[in-house]
Amino acid sequence: MGDKAAEKRDVWQGTLALMVLKTLQAMGPLHGYGIARRIEQTSGDLLAVNYGTLYPALLKLEQEGYISSEWGFSDNNRKAKYYKLTRAGRKQLNKEEREWEQTTAILARFLAPGEERS
Amino acid sequence: MAELFQKEASDRELAEEMESHLQLHIDDNVRSGMSAEEARRQALIKLGGIEQTKEACRDRKGLPMLETFLQDVRFAARMLRKNPGVTVVVVLTLALGVGANTAIFGLVNGVLLERLPVPAPEQIAALVIQGSGAPLGALGFSYPQFVEFRKQTEPFCEVFGQALGRPNFTADGHSDTLAVSGVSSNYFSALGLRPSLGRLILPGEGERPGEPAMLVLGYSFWQKRFGGDPGVLGKQVRLGGKPATIVGVAPKEFRGQFSIFEMDAYLPLSTLYPDQSGNSLWNSRSIHMMLSLGRLKPGVTLAQAQSRFDVISHRLAEQYPATDKDIRVRVMDERLSRPIPYANNAFIIFSGLFLILGALVLLLACTNIANILMARASVRQREMAIRAALGGARSRLVRQMLTETMLTALLGGSAGVLLGAWLSRLVGSIHLSGFPLQLGFGFDWRVFAYALTAVVFTAIFAGLSPALRATRADVNSVLHQGGRADAGGAARHKVRGDLMAAQVAGSLMLLIVAGLFVRSLRAVENMDLGFDPNRLLNVRLDPSINNYSETQTTEFYRSLETRIRALPGVQSASLASSVPIGYIRGKQSVYIEGRPVPPGQQAPAILFNSVDSAYFETLRVRLLLGRAFLEADGETAPPVAIVNETMAKHFWPGESPIGKRFSMTGDAGPFIDVVGVARDGKYRTLAEDPEPYFYVPLAQSFTAERVLQIRSSVPSESLMPLVQREILAIDAHAPIEEIQTMKESLGGALGYFLFRLGASLAAVMGLLGLLLAVVGVYGVVSYAATQRTQELGIRMALGASRRQVLALLLRHGAQLVAAGLLFGLAGAWGLTRVMSNMLVGVSPSDPLTYLSVAALLSSITLLACWIPARRAMRLDPMVALRYE
Repeated sequence: MGDKAAEKRDVWQGTLALMVLKTLQAMGPLHGYGIARRIEQTSGDLLAVNYGTLYPALLKLEQEGYISSEWGFSDNNRKAKYYKLTRAGRKQLNKEEREWEQTTAILARFLAPGEERS
Repeated sequence: MAELFQKEASDRELAEEMESHLQLHIDDNVRSGMSAEEARRQALIKLGGIEQTKEACRDRKGLPMLETFLQDVRFAARMLRKNPGVTVVVVLTLALGVGANTAIFGLVNGVLLERLPVPAPEQIAALVIQGSGAPLGALGFSYPQFVEFRKQTEPFCEVFGQALGRPNFTADGHSDTLAVSGVSSNYFSALGLRPSLGRLILPGEGERPGEPAMLVLGYSFWQKRFGGDPGVLGKQVRLGGKPATIVGVAPKEFRGQFSIFEMDAYLPLSTLYPDQSGNSLWNSRSIHMMLSLGRLKPGVTLAQAQSRFDVISHRLAEQYPATDKDIRVRVMDERLSRPIPYANNAFIIFSGLFLILGALVLLLACTNIANILMARASVRQREMAIRAALGGARSRLVRQMLTETMLTALLGGSAGVLLGAWLSRLVGSIHLSGFPLQLGFGFDWRVFAYALTAVVFTAIFAGLSPALRATRADVNSVLHQGGRADAGGAARHKVRGDLMAAQVAGSLMLLIVAGLFVRSLRAVENMDLGFDPNRLLNVRLDPSINNYSETQTTEFYRSLETRIRALPGVQSASLASSVPIGYIRGKQSVYIEGRPVPPGQQAPAILFNSVDSAYFETLRVRLLLGRAFLEADGETAPPVAIVNETMAKHFWPGESPIGKRFSMTGDAGPFIDVVGVARDGKYRTLAEDPEPYFYVPLAQSFTAERVLQIRSSVPSESLMPLVQREILAIDAHAPIEEIQTMKESLGGALGYFLFRLGASLAAVMGLLGLLLAVVGVYGVVSYAATQRTQELGIRMALGASRRQVLALLLRHGAQLVAAGLLFGLAGAWGLTRVMSNMLVGVSPSDPLTYLSVAALLSSITLLACWIPARRAMRLDPMVALRYE
């Protein structure tokens, strides 16, 4: 049972990581709350970011060296931990983007002979 | 530890981050128009369980490194306890492998690698004399040479040196013979040493004969003989019969300039050689006693020093063509000149050979361990497959299995280091007559690093391949095999077969080296020495220390001989100045009558011995021509000599040497008549080629220090107390320097010692190798038989006879053994090329040794194949088919 849950989370973490990296690329240094908000907004509020998965994902990315963090202050002067993309992170993002595009392109060919998605 | 504190800190940080997240969210909510309370409520709902989030983060965070590692270690320890049999076998095998290596490396380290314990030891260079025509090189500088080199090299190198001596030492009423260095005055200042007590020998002291006699004690000797009493300073003792004063104690770490024995005391050169009359150390250019070192000035390299020494050697050769012509000084790293600064030092090759043998033993041990682990890996393949199916990453599984191997390796390695320390202490405790041997086992960082490298190497070599194999298995195929343990068998059998062949090859190499050493030792022990060493007792005496006059000395020896000959069991007794392969008194220049030495050349120097009339009978040296010495060949009678075959052939080829004459002083005589020819023998070392040698009567060449040699019909040992009693009866302050049987004397450094050491070390390694190979072969074959139980059952059920099954299994084993033998023979042939200098009476490619060892090994390994094969043959086909 535990394994099943882990597997699901794995998939989710995979895409979540990509979203986090992309967000940081687009927005520059940002705190956890900001990242979550931004992802939710970008998805048109279709996604609800579960913080129980967001922070472990951030931690993982940091351990892998793709992002780095630093304490700072928000616009309204709240202390917050800011994450930003590292060089390795930028490379990884490029790589993952390419892979993702490939995967979606392949999947699109399988799934959608009738259903056009641009 | 640090990791755990870090964990607490990061927990706190995470809590802060959550808090800030909450606040940012609340702020946002407020901005979008909620009340403060509502904003907080919504934010908390959205955020979800803070504790859960923290837990999830902790999972992510905690796992790395240390925690995983500890988990692995705990698991590994559990697995090792679960299979105590396997663990014990692996640990023991490894202990043997690492033990043998640590022992050998420890010895090599102690003798070769540790620098002298002096300040800036890297500046110390050995100055090795290389004379053409003398294969071993001369032992050192002559004192006049030494002085000249010291003066001329001053700008770039401080030359200092010492001469070895074995004087009699008397203090507090009892006496013993010490190993001492007679040192040049700048010896201790150039080394940069400070005394542990009193003072050392000071610059400017002790190079003028006639100065007051003094000595500095070696630290160990001070502890041993005087219990470390500081009151020894200023104590009056007798040294070589003359009074001397103890002025200090050498530093504890300094054991002398030779790494294999420790000096008992250090004397100024003038104390060791008080006499400068006649032909003495002080003025002779042909007495080469000064074993020298140099301290290079900062910035001077060995090569620079070498070229300047060459210039000086050249100059001296022109100045003193008679004595210094062929002499060249080699400036080398002091460590490379050990244990004794001979120009052609075989010890380094000797050490290298044994390090290689040690590595071979370790490889064999590794191979066995790899075999065991591989067998276990297939058993555990199911476990691995299940863990992989449950999501264990492969790298994680490999790491875990390597941790297991590493843990076992560390256990085995620690046992091995203990074993190695014990073994090398065993070798170090060998008592060598002459000088007190000190083969210290210095357990320093080098030995530790060496053992650790061996352990890590073993763990990786033996563990990686099984770990990769066990985890490579396709989850599906393993789990679908209904629990049968083996999968992908063919490749694994191939690897195990290769390992088995490698083991046979390695073990064959070890055994051949051992066989060669043992045969060489046999040859040496049965060697014709030119005399009969059985039941012969040597007693070295020096009555001059009692201030005897020449007449008194002669009288002392005469009455001693009479008393000894009267003892029951004594067949004959005689006196001599040298003992072959024992105490050697040196060479004498020889001038042949009617053949003057051409100008610019030097007269040949020939070894000789002064003996009395009973010598040839006592030693059983056969005379081929002429007569032995007679009582009539006295001090006033015409001088006579007996030469050996080689000397006769060398100087008077094709003629009878009887009646020919030569001189020991010059072309003009006085001349000595040759009255006899004796058989050739061994004089300096067992390995030497026939060497010219001659004898003169003791009555015509007086020396005070003599060896009384006693031939008996009873064992020599039983005579010792009687002989000592007789000597004490003549003089209660008996000047006995040494008493030992000829057999003991032959066990010394120039005699059997190195041959015995080599043979016993090599034999131990060879037996270890054999044991490991037999265990390995047996393991591989019996495992293969078990794995093929079902197949064999089917074959038998289908009508294969037992004989056919046996042949099937044996053929496989025999092929591997044959391949191993082939590689082993080739490897041994290559390895033994370096041994030609270490063997006597047997060639390094001796076919008899190669063939007999190969035959022995193949029959033993085939037996190790046959036993498990026969067990498989006896299987009941029904049982076999239902197996598992």
